[in-house]
Amino acid sequence: MQTVKMVISGAVNSGKTEFIKTISEIEVVSTERRATDDTKAIKKETTVAMDFGRIAIGNDLVLHLFGTPGQKRFDFMWEILSEGMLGLVILVDSTRPETFRETNRIIDFFISYRDTPYVVAANKQDRPNAWSPDELRLALRQPPRIKVIPCVATDRESVKSVLLELLYVILDRSSEG
Amino acid sequence: MALVGNIQDFGLSDFLYLVDRGYKTGCLHLNRENEMAILFFEKGKLTYAALCHDEKLTDFLVQAEKLTPEQAGALTQAYERSGRNLPMTQVLLKEDLLPQEELQRTLQTHVEEEVVYSLFGWPEGAFRFEHGQKPEFESPILPTPLSIENLIMEGVRRIDEWGRIRDRIPSTDLVARFVDQPGEKAKGVKLAPEEWRVFARINGKDTMASIAKNTNLSEFDVCRIMYGFATAGLVDIIKKPTAAQLAQGAQDQPKLRRSLVSRIINRIQTM
Repeated sequence: MQTVKMVISGAVNSGKTEFIKTISEIEVVSTERRATDDTKAIKKETTVAMDFGRIAIGNDLVLHLFGTPGQKRFDFMWEILSEGMLGLVILVDSTRPETFRETNRIIDFFISYRDTPYVVAANKQDRPNAWSPDELRLALRQPPRIKVIPCVATDRESVKSVLLELLYVILDRSSEG
Repeated sequence: MALVGNIQDFGLSDFLYLVDRGYKTGCLHLNRENEMAILFFEKGKLTYAALCHDEKLTDFLVQAEKLTPEQAGALTQAYERSGRNLPMTQVLLKEDLLPQEELQRTLQTHVEEEVVYSLFGWPEGAFRFEHGQKPEFESPILPTPLSIENLIMEGVRRIDEWGRIRDRIPSTDLVARFVDQPGEKAKGVKLAPEEWRVFARINGKDTMASIAKNTNLSEFDVCRIMYGFATAGLVDIIKKPTAAQLAQGAQDQPKLRRSLVSRIINRIQTM
C-alpha cells in the first residue's frame, strides 16, 4: 500500500481541523487539548498536536491529510510533518488581518528550504468583512504564480476545489509515466 | 466590502503596498484614541490625505499664504459657476490663480510631512478601507497623485525601533534577493547614498551582517534599509540555506509520476 501525504497548515483558528473533517473519509483523529495559552481567547479548544484525515484513492494508494498545530511552540513538529509531503495547503482566516504576518511566517518556514508546491486557501469567505483572494494575495505578498483560492472549510465542494487546485500544481511539476 | 483591521497587526506600509499593487481606489480611515486620518487613493496613487474630515482647499491655501482671502473668494465663485462638478484644485488651475508646480509642492509637502509620515509613528490604530470612496471636490486634492513606493521608503526611513523591523527581518543572518519582477516600480524609487551602498550589495547570498561589515554601516541601519526595500516590494528576505539543507530539500522532493497524481485528482473529483 502506497501512502502520500498533504499538509494543511495555517495560523491558529484558520480552519485546519474543519478543512480536514470536511473531506476525510474517516473520523478525524484529532489530539485536541484544552488551550492553555493566549489561544484561549480565540478558541476554547485548539489543536495542540495534529489532525489526521484519510482518503482512499484505490486498493493500493491512500492520501493522508495532516493538520499542523497552529501555535508557535509546536514549530518543531512542522519540519517532521513536512518530510516527503506531496504538497501544502496554507489556510488563512480571511476575516482576521492580525493573522497575516503569522501566515507569512508559516509559508516562509515551509518553502524556505524545500521547493514545496502549495496553494493558499482564503478561508471563511462566507463571513462579513472577509478579504477577497486578490486582496489576500497582496497582503501576503504572494506572486501571481501562487494560487489563492476562495474557501469555506465547512463546505465539501469548496475543500475539494482547494485540493484539486493544489493537485493541478503538483501535476504540472510531475514527471511522465 | 470594507477592509478592516489594526495597523498594529497589519502595518501601514503593508497596507500602502496592497493599495499600490492592487491599484485600489478608495479611502483609508485610521483612528486611534482622539486622532483620526483619511487617505484617498485613485488607482493605487495617493490623491489626498488629512488629519481631519472637513479640510477645504481655500482655507488651506489662505492659511499657507498661497492665496489672499480675495483670491480664495474668487476661486469659490468660479467653483460655483463651474457647477461644482470639478475638483476645486482643477478650477484653481483653470483660473490660473497659482502655478501648478507651486500648488503641487505646497499640497505634497503638507500631505507627506504633516499627515502620511506622522502616521508611520502610530504604534496602533484601527483602519477601514472603503472601496471607491472619493474626496469632496472642495478638498485640497493633489493635481498629480503621489506614487506609493517613495512614501513607503521615506516612512520607513523614520522608523527607529527594532520592533517593527524584526517583524520582517528577525535575524541578521537573513539574506535579501531581488524579487522576480520589480518592473517599473524600482525605477521610480529614490534612494539615499547609504541606501545605494546597501542596494548594490544585494546578491541573494550575503547576509545582513556581512553587508553591514562590508559597508561599515551598523546592522540596524542595514536591516532598516532592507526593511524599506522589502516593504516597497523590491526585495524578498529569505533564509540562507546551507549546502546540506539544499541537498536534503532535493531528496525530499522525489519526482512524482503523473499517473499517480492523476489518480488522486480523479478520486477527489468523484467524492
